[in-house]
Order: sequence, then structure tokens, then C-alpha cells
Amino acid sequence: MIMSEKSKQHVDSCRFCWMCHHICPIGNATGQERNTARARALGISLVNREAIDLSEIMDNIYECCTCGACVHDCVTGWDPVMFTKETRLKAALEDKTPDYIKPLIANCLATGNAYGKTEICDRLAQSVKAHADKKDILLFLGADARFMACEQALKAIKVLEKAGVEFTVLEKEPASGVQLDFLIGAANETKAQMEECAEVLNKYKTVVLYDPNDAKAVKQLYKEYGVEVAANAVTYTSFLADLIKEGKLETKQSGRTVVFQDPYQLSRDLEETEEAREIVKAYAKLDEMLLNRAETVWAGNILMAQYMPEVIKLVAKRRIFNAKSVGANTIVTASVAEYVSLKAVAEEENSEIISIEDLILG
Amino acid sequence: MQYQMNEFLFAMILTELEDAVGKENCSTRAIDKVTHSVDYYWLSRMWADRGCRMPEADIVVCPNDAEEVSKVLKIANYYKLPVTTWGAGGGTQGGAIPVAGGILLDTKRMNKIYEVNTDGMYIECGTGAIYKHIEWAANEVGKATMHYPSSLTCSTVGGFLAHRGIGVVSTKYGKIDDMVLQMEVVLPNGDIINTSPAPKHAAGPDLNQIFIGSEGTLGIITKAQIRIFDQPEERRFRGFLFQDMTGAFKASRELLQKFKPSVMRLYDEAETVSLIKKIVGVERKGAFMNVAYEGAKEMVEVEEKILLDTFKKYGAEDLGSEYGEKWWKEKITFFYPGHMMDIPQCFGTMDTIAPYGKIEEIYWAMKEAIETNFPQAKFIAHFSHWYEWGAMVYDRFIVDGKDVPKDPVEALRLHQAIWTCGVRTALAHGGVVNDHHGVGIKLGRLMKEQYGPAMQVFEGLKKTLDPNGIMNPFKLGL
Ligand SMILES: Cc1cc2nc3c(=O)[nH]c(=O)nc-3n(C[C@H](O)[C@H](O)[C@H](O)COP(=O)(O)OP(=O)(O)OC[C@H]3O[C@@H](n4cnc5c(N)ncnc54)[C@H](O)[C@@H]3O)c2cc1C
Ligand code: SF4
Ligand code: SF4
Repeated sequence: MIMSEKSKQHVDSCRFCWMCHHICPIGNATGQERNTARARALGISLVNREAIDLSEIMDNIYECCTCGACVHDCVTGWDPVMFTKETRLKAALEDKTPDYIKPLIANCLATGNAYGKTEICDRLAQSVKAHADKKDILLFLGADARFMACEQALKAIKVLEKAGVEFTVLEKEPASGVQLDFLIGAANETKAQMEECAEVLNKYKTVVLYDPNDAKAVKQLYKEYGVEVAANAVTYTSFLADLIKEGKLETKQSGRTVVFQDPYQLSRDLEETEEAREIVKAYAKLDEMLLNRAETVWAGNILMAQYMPEVIKLVAKRRIFNAKSVGANTIVTASVAEYVSLKAVAEEENSEIISIEDLILG
Repeated sequence: MQYQMNEFLFAMILTELEDAVGKENCSTRAIDKVTHSVDYYWLSRMWADRGCRMPEADIVVCPNDAEEVSKVLKIANYYKLPVTTWGAGGGTQGGAIPVAGGILLDTKRMNKIYEVNTDGMYIECGTGAIYKHIEWAANEVGKATMHYPSSLTCSTVGGFLAHRGIGVVSTKYGKIDDMVLQMEVVLPNGDIINTSPAPKHAAGPDLNQIFIGSEGTLGIITKAQIRIFDQPEERRFRGFLFQDMTGAFKASRELLQKFKPSVMRLYDEAETVSLIKKIVGVERKGAFMNVAYEGAKEMVEVEEKILLDTFKKYGAEDLGSEYGEKWWKEKITFFYPGHMMDIPQCFGTMDTIAPYGKIEEIYWAMKEAIETNFPQAKFIAHFSHWYEWGAMVYDRFIVDGKDVPKDPVEALRLHQAIWTCGVRTALAHGGVVNDHHGVGIKLGRLMKEQYGPAMQVFEGLKKTLDPNGIMNPFKLGL
């Protein structure tokens, strides 16, 4: 396998290092030794030395959620996310992508989302229609909310309506490219999606990115890909926090005590941790889990649940355990993917999951 | 009965194991086998670096609790299959490598925290829990485990028990064998037993201590009650520079008759000018020593006075608290790639322990033996675990990459030869095979040299508990 020198160097450092063993949300949930940065690096290094075939490690390469907890924890700055994504790209080029991943990639290319969906639910379609007119502000909902969590998308719209914001929601949103970036890394196709999306976003003065995954893509990854975004791209949480500050969103204490689940894309990648807390504190008493802010533990997503649903359940349950360990029964989320993932096991775990929008709308 | 494994029988055994632990927790995939074939042992890393595959297990199983472990061991005993237990593979002695193939039993699914008991001051957990996770659980209730090895984040409770591990605040709080109350163990025949409900008693020998340090050769520890402590009101550090190590030993022995600091670390001159200069910033000749003392504020005040008075008597220069605090913050940094020795270098830590009066002699003897027999090797050391009666030397050899044979077998020979020379020298001067990293496959051959006829006690236990010899073959010299 031909790898960049940079990735090779990172692989050869991580392959014999155990230091971030404790931090991987997948490894902690499955208890599998292969779900560690070092195991992944060891596998890749053996492929590079032709001691094992690339196809034999690919399942494991797709078990990484690219949450970057290991990268954040590493004092030396080695980057397993980088070499994991590069390996996905190499596998795609060598036609060694696992069979269960191929349809997700094909869907992304055909429909712009990994789920292969083309239609949004009727109620959401109605709500979107009401915001079809071009305004200065675009609310970008993202594929997860539009196609897999219609209720959340509706609430996201409702909150902005409540604050009297004038905004547009697109009937057909372009793909942000973040799903392809996850599935095949920096392929030409990924960049093409990003360019197409940037072109649409640039028609607006402000773009409010509802999904932290899209926010990470537009605010961070696009730069890495050399894709320019002229519009003012803001996260949904920072936008809401400003609305509260400006007195546009009515606040009222609910009497609830909650903990907040930091989406890693906001807290680690975009270094945004306090905005969501300001929102939560305006409606409830906020406690903290031990691992919070930049140390947050990923609580699952919808994309990986397509091919490893049982593991994603374990991941979510483990995060609920963290909340319970500090006596918290209600977790507030700011990521639709984590909301869906936690919600799927909430009943079984006797725990309450609400989104920031739920908190605001009461 | 000897038999040859065949495809049919293998498939049968696999279904039995899948039935025991669940299909998804039973793997024959290459990635699982490879991942469990390289641990922190230099030889396994070197082997992989040369593009060779280490010996691999045939089947990797991940049981959820003692009942499932029991089922696996019963199957293994019936078919006479080797079972190697793997915690997190952070061991340095190749203890978790399935050198004889067969079943690799990974404990990490047994990572539950069953109880955080602040009355009895312990956490009951599955032994597959990474130690840092139980530290977090202790921190959540304002307590601490006080077991802080550099591998806190990458080794399991079971692994530390199996290797008799130790952390940096051991002088005050103890070694892992002081940290455990009751344990649940699955014997090789599948029986599940519990050790005594309290570790200090007169109800016969201490069962805990039979399994602690047994490296998966006598059974699998599945649950443990691990002690927790109050967080200290205050933790203070003080750095000192002694003219030489002899003064430091005398001062430390005297200090330990008066009170127990938490951290005591004395660096030899070579390490003082290399590691300490790099990380802590001290650029002076001599032997650097870092001491931490902690607990109730009033006690800490008194201890500080005793420390300063005692060390002054032996000519130690007081370097203040800054170096110690920096060391505390950076103590794990030493172990990340880029800070730590790494391949292509060849290296090893030959920690041993002895009473005062012998330990310094051991240090000089080992240094001389390594440096004269292997001029390509550098020898550095520090002394990091101290008792009223003696101390541990953490001595390392390092051979530059350019002097390490490219051929893996030749590199293995060099590594073995240096180890044999170092450990034999330690034994000859009153040391032991190892202080806290264990024996594994690396040092098994030297166990008989240390124990002589006493080895039959271990062998007797092994024969009785594991008559088929399935548990972690070729480890611990058993
Ligand atoms: C960076 C680094 C720093 C280190 N620093 C320290 C240190 O400061 N102090 C220290 O003491 N050690 C240190 N070590 C060594 C290592 O952490 C210990 O040897 C630890 O005990 C290994 O635990 P593990 O879970 O990784 O065990 P493994 O390597 O998986 O296994 C070690 C041995 O224990 C057996 N075993 C594992 N679990 C069980 C069980 N439940 N029941 C029975 N047998 C079992 C295995 O069969 C094997 O023989 C360090 C290692 C690394 C990588
Ligand atoms: S990311 Fe850092 S801590 Fe993790 S395995 Fe790599 S080098 Fe080690
Ligand atoms: S990026 Fe996240 S999931 Fe992937 S290895 Fe690192 S910690 Fe684990």
C-alpha cells in the first residue's frame, strides 16, 4: 500500500504505543483490543510491510468513528484519524473497501447522503416550504436531521421561528461532503461535494449549521481541502446563545438538573464548549460529567449504526453510564446523531435524553 | 492424549467457544490475532517491525464474566488447548503473547465497575477494567486509587495484579499487592473461587498472594476489590541534588525510618544529565532526587521539616519545589513516542530490588557488566520505589539503532544476551529476577536460577491447579 510519508511516520509511532488505550469510545464499549489507535496502526504497519493484506484490516479501519479523542489525548501530536482516513481512501482505490461500506459510498455519490434517501418527511417538507424565500440567513439542517431525524429538524426550525429569526431552509440541500470524508477520506469526489456545497452556502450572508458534523466540515475541513467559504458560517449552538444574549429567545428555568453531552466536533475540533452551556443554563441546572468539553466521549452516530448497530448501542450505553455516575438522569444533546443514538437505548437504561431544542421549546 | 488439530475439530471447538461467550465475542479474524500477538515486549515489537508475524492465537475470546471464563477453561481443558490471558497487552515481558497458539482470552469485556464503596474504601470491578477507569470512578466520589504507574491509561486491573505492578506513589500507599482486598479467580478447571473477604487474617496463607504475580499461569482473576484513598489535602514536592548516590541512599534510609513520602525518585548521574535535563530542565552534575509528601496539611508541614533537616545532613542541595512539580505534570510524557526509547533502538528495563547495603552494589555491578560485555549499550537508572529496608533500581540498557542487527533472529540474540547478563548479575549480588514488570516469556529461564529448589513450590501449585498445563504455557518459568 502506498501511503504518504506523513501517515507512515504517524503509523510507525502509534503502532507500539499504548498511551491512549483508555480513551477510545469504541474500544471502551466493545472491550476489543483491535479498537485502539495502536492496533489500527499495527495493522497498517504490517500491511506496509506486506505481512498482512489490506483487506484483512479494513473492518477495523471502519470501526473508528474518527472522533479524535486519541489525537487530543496524545501529548506528541500523532494523528490516528489522519492515517485511518488515508487507509480508507487507499482501500477504495484498490477496491478493498468492505462490501457493507460500498453501498454507503455509492449512496453518497448518488443521493448526497449515505442513507440513499431522496425525500424528506411531509411535515418537514411543509415547514421547509414556509422558509423557501431567500433571506440573509440560511439554516443548513444536514443529512442526518433531514432524512433520519425529521422531528429534530422540525424543532430546529421551530426554535429559530420562536426567536423571530428570518431565515431560509433549502428544499434540496447539497451534501456537505462530511459523510464522504468519513467514508473515503480526501478523494476527488469528496472535494467536489464540498465545492458544490460551498457554492450554495456562499449565496448567503450567514449560514447556521445545525449539525456539528457539518459545522466541523464547513468551518474546518473545507480549509484543509482548499475550499473557500465566504459566508459567515456559525454553529447552531453559538447562534442560539447569541439569540439568548440579545433577549430574542425567551428563557425560563425548567427546574430540571441535566448534564450536557459535548459533541466532539464542537468541543474538540471547533473549540466551542461554553455556548451550549449558556443555553442549557438558561433553562436548567447544569451538572458536569467527568469527561466533558474537549475530553468528551462520543456517544454514537447514525452513519455507523448502519453497519455496526450493536456497537453503537454499547457506545451510547457507556456514555449514559458516565452521566449516571455523577447522579444525572437527563442528558442534553447538541448533535442530532448523538441524540438519535442515545435515545435508542434511553428507555432500556432508564435515562432521559433531550436535545437543546427540546429544552428551549419546553 | 496427544492429537493433531484438524479442520473439522477446530470448527467444532469454535462453535463450543461461540456458545460460551457469544459469536461476536469469539474471533478468528487476522486483525484480532495480529493485535493480540504484539505486546509491549521489545522482542515482539522488533519482530513486527521487521515485517514478521509473531506467534498468534488460533481463536480470540472475550468473555463477559467469571461464568463465561469458566466455560472457556472447561472447553480448553477438555481439548487440552493452551489459554493465554490478555489484559491490555501493556506488559513488557511478553506475558500476554500466545506463544503456544490456542485460545487467547482477552479480559477487557469484564470491565464493569460493580460498586464504589466509600465505607469500606474500595471499588469492586471486573479485572478487565483499565486502571484509569477505576481512577475516574474514584475521582467521581472525591477519592483516588493511588496506584499511578506510567501505564495507568493502558493496563488493566488484572494485568497489574498478574504482574505485581507498582505506581509512583508506592512508598506511601503500597504496591498493587497492598491495594487489593478480595478477588474472584477462575481456576484452570473452571471452578470459580473467592479469596478471603479481608486480606489481613490468620486463616491460613494468603490466597490473594498465590494468584497475584502468577501471570495467568494458575488461574484467571476476574473480579477484584481495589482500595481507594482520600485525596490528600496537600501534595508537595521537593527536588534535591546529591553529590553522589551513596549520600542519597543514606539520607533516604534515615528519612524512611521517620515517615513515608509518597514519591521518592533518585536518578543516577547518567539519567540526571539525559532524561532529567531534557524534561525537567536540571543541567547539573550529581544525582537528582525528587520527593513528594502528602496528606493532612499539618502533617505535610512537619514532614517537610523532617525531610529538609534529614537531607541537609547528607549534603543535599535543596532545589525547591519547581522541578518536582514539573516532573509530576510530565511524568507520563516520558512514555510517549518521541520522548521514549523506540525501535530501531534496542532497550529494556531490568528492574530489581534488594535491601540497603546491596542495592547500590547491584547497580554498579550491573552497570559494569552491561557496559563491559556490551560496549554498544548505554546504561542508565533511577531508584523509584523505596521501603524502610531497601529500594528498587529501575535500570535500563539502550543500544542505538545502528548497532542493532537488522536480522530479527540476530537482534533477538543480542537482546536475550544483554538481559541474561544483567539479570544474572543482579541475582549474583542479592537481587531478584524482577521488581514489578514480571517474568513472562522474557525471564522465565532465570526463575530457577533465583529460586533453586524453592521453585518446586510454584511447580507443585502449577501441577495441582493446572494438571494439563493449559494456562499461559512457557511463562514464569512454569
Ligand atoms: C508505557 C508503559 C509504562 C509502564 N509503566 C509501568 C509502571 O510504572 N509500573 C508497572 O508496574 N508496570 C508498568 N508497565 C508495565 C505494564 O503496565 C504492567 O506490566 C501491567 O501489569 C500490564 O497490564 P496489562 O493489562 O497490559 O497486562 P497484559 O500485558 O495484557 O498481561 C500481562 C500478564 O498478566 C496476565 N494477565 C492479565 N490479566 C490477567 C487476569 N485477569 N488474570 C490472570 N492473569 C492476567 C497475562 O497473561 C500476562 O501474563 C508499563 C507499561 C507501559 C506500556
Ligand atoms: S495517538 Fe499518541 S497516545 Fe495514541 S497510540 Fe498514537 S502515539 Fe500513542
Ligand atoms: S479517533 Fe476516536 S474512535 Fe478512532 S481510534 Fe481515536 S479515539 Fe478511537
